[in-house]
Amino acid sequence: MTLSGRFVLLLALGVVPIVLFGPDPAAATGVLVLWLLLVFVLGGLDLALAASPRAVTVERILPARVRLGESVTSELYLTNTGRRRLVGVVRDAWQPSAGAGRNRSRVVVPSGERRLVSLTLTPFRRGERRVEQVTVRSRGPLGLWNRQATLNAPGRIRVLPPFHARKHLPARITRLKELDGRTSVMVRGQGTEFDSLREYVRGDDVRSIDWRATARRNDVMVRTWRPERDRRVVILLDTGRTSAARVDNEPRLDTAFEASLLLAALTSVAGDRVDFLAFDRRVRGRVQGASGAALLSQLVDSMALIDPELIEMDWAAVPGQVRSITSQHALVVVLTSVDAAGASTGLLSVLPQLTKRHTVIVASVLDPATVLAAATRGGRDEIYRAAAAERALLDVARVSAAIRRLGADVVTASPAQLPPALADRYIALKAAGRL
Amino acid sequence: MSATLGSPTDAPARLTGAVGGAAGSTTVATPTLRALLGRSSFWLIAAACILATAIVAVVVSGGSQAVGRALAGDNAAPAGSMALVEVLRQQGVTVTLASSLAEVRGSVGTNSTVLLYDENSYLDQSQLRELGDLGARTVVAAPDFLALQALAPAVGFGGVSASDTLAADCFVPAANRAGELSPGGDTLSIPPGGGHPLLTGCFASGTNTFSLVQVQNDRTGGIISLVPDARLFSNEHITDYGNAAFALGLLGPSDSLVWYLPTLADLPRTGPPSLADLTPGWVTPVLVLLILAAAAAAFWRGARFGPLVAENLPVTVKASETMEGRARLYARSNARLRALDALRVGAVQRLALAVGLGRLAHLEEVVGSVAHFTGRTPDDVRRVLVGAIPKSDAQLMAFSDALQALEHATGQAVRAGAAPAARASASDSQELPPPPAERMDS
Repeated sequence: MTLSGRFVLLLALGVVPIVLFGPDPAAATGVLVLWLLLVFVLGGLDLALAASPRAVTVERILPARVRLGESVTSELYLTNTGRRRLVGVVRDAWQPSAGAGRNRSRVVVPSGERRLVSLTLTPFRRGERRVEQVTVRSRGPLGLWNRQATLNAPGRIRVLPPFHARKHLPARITRLKELDGRTSVMVRGQGTEFDSLREYVRGDDVRSIDWRATARRNDVMVRTWRPERDRRVVILLDTGRTSAARVDNEPRLDTAFEASLLLAALTSVAGDRVDFLAFDRRVRGRVQGASGAALLSQLVDSMALIDPELIEMDWAAVPGQVRSITSQHALVVVLTSVDAAGASTGLLSVLPQLTKRHTVIVASVLDPATVLAAATRGGRDEIYRAAAAERALLDVARVSAAIRRLGADVVTASPAQLPPALADRYIALKAAGRL
Repeated sequence: MSATLGSPTDAPARLTGAVGGAAGSTTVATPTLRALLGRSSFWLIAAACILATAIVAVVVSGGSQAVGRALAGDNAAPAGSMALVEVLRQQGVTVTLASSLAEVRGSVGTNSTVLLYDENSYLDQSQLRELGDLGARTVVAAPDFLALQALAPAVGFGGVSASDTLAADCFVPAANRAGELSPGGDTLSIPPGGGHPLLTGCFASGTNTFSLVQVQNDRTGGIISLVPDARLFSNEHITDYGNAAFALGLLGPSDSLVWYLPTLADLPRTGPPSLADLTPGWVTPVLVLLILAAAAAAFWRGARFGPLVAENLPVTVKASETMEGRARLYARSNARLRALDALRVGAVQRLALAVGLGRLAHLEEVVGSVAHFTGRTPDDVRRVLVGAIPKSDAQLMAFSDALQALEHATGQAVRAGAAPAARASASDSQELPPPPAERMDS
């Protein structure tokens, strides 16, 4: 049971009769008692005549998933199984991060009928956004007292990572296509595969002329090459405690998601096979053997539920995890944070095992705030900040150098730049035939 | 919010459409009133028990603790006079308890008896005189000086009686029936010589000192009895000696008795009217109503629209926290040299890249190359890059500025193509666009 503002107003209006009819204290008290009696009888009558909110049955229709930043419509069907017409307000109790806004809707449901309450959801956090209950507040005919009941109507919607980095995809695919059918003008590594023979046109590199074919065909033939295909790419995500840190108001993990999505999209276009593994001390997400459109949807689906865990990454288990995915040579992309030497000991200790068998890229987010602080020299405090930033950058440089000495490659960039940088590195490796 | 309502016409269509299936029964999370009462029955019963115990305790112990007013007709304590009043009522006397002269005036009859006990001397002389004129018989218990002045100017105080027995020894019937009073009380004195025909003294306890003095009112002819010892009428002493017979005889001759104990209401009112006199009668009810309305408003605004929704919030850790922390450590411990060293190492690495040496170039090579590009002496460059030790914050800032100036000058010199022929290839490689958006990799 709840009151309404109208009831409060009615109660306060009792001042008028008390002042008018109550010149002496006893008469005024009598009028007060009468007024209270009247108001409460009216309220009780109102309550008794209000439709029962318990007689409402609720059904929900929700889209299964939505990309972060986009809006979906949540539909809630209210069926009034009671005998009275229900006039009231409905609150669909979504979690705040589901972005339901002001989720109170006025409804009028006649007896035995059904009405739709639709709500636009614009979630602002990744993951699973839930709703458990719907509260119905049924107003009496006078609007003085309300009946209120909370109904169980669970629902959930999966909010996928936004994949903002897909704007970089067309340019990368174009560059990838340029590798295709390229002659050996620029590249001729062991990884490039013989594609076909075609007639020489002016401008072709004379070194790519296939003299035997020329002899056979009575025409000058050149060999064309195409980049190697069906290579394996393993994307390994560090979901340990360092991935929770925010750079540019985005957790490292989300940047890593963007980078892996762009890389996976590019890799599947290039014809390579992608496996994804999110790991800290146990496997948080794994996508294996998917390709094409299914790959990206499976990726975002598994990424949606991954949150940074506040535990240390178990680097010692990483080679075993990679081995369980593939025993062949693969490109292993490790998305982690390259920080101070002490924090990177685990990574450095297992890198040799990975580099012995695979081509390894270690990708890490670099804080633009640090770079900016290193260049800002105003007063005394700013110089000390610059020194600390410089020290942090030196640490990153030292760890990067150590990683390179162990045979792996390092990509560091600001959150916005890391996905394209990683994609470019992949294209470069592919062009060089090092996959 | 974008809540829309399906119009009545399309509602049935939706019923059979997308949703399909019968509407399942929705479970209700809010408990019904009955369930709520059942769940909290223990607390309700406990509260009721505590309340009942408290009420019983108050009723059982009530009244016995308070001392109450002396000689009050409704006071059962030792100092009260409830016993006497009740006995009088049983004997058919209508006893009216009055607390102001106005009430006395309203309830006194032509043949009434009035008892006055003015412990705190509220009444003034004119009021006392008026009171003496009201009833046929007036009994004044423990009269004070003003009462004697107003009612029997000839009578004076006689001190505490010295004799062990107080015998009636007079013609007053009530005194004769009592025979003897409890001794040891105050007395009044009558002037010697029978010059005062209207005065009668009883219970003599010395020369001209009495425990009861009756005087006839010369205006109305009423009898005024002055009893200096008020304890005679109290519950504690009413049963001693002949006190009871004396009191009943004195107060009970007529059908009605006004038991008058003056209160503050008898004091003449002075000064301006109080706030309570000026406020209209409806103010208190209106205040009560407004308080109720405020409480209702609190319920109105405070009622939650369903339970709160819980959500796990993510940890927010800024990645630059460690850098900021280190900077504050440097600043607090004035680690000028350490800070400057960090700046210098960074600058040397950038300079090495700028002049086309590798990341792993030796310091002396960098110094020589930078000196060559900028035209400074190698000693000067070395002093900026490694030599100088900052002694104060001002020096630290100066050295930091010098570092930046050196980097800036080197960058300009390299861009301006002031490179010697030997460095041509290196400077050429600088003009190639760097790989997009990459840092820290060779």
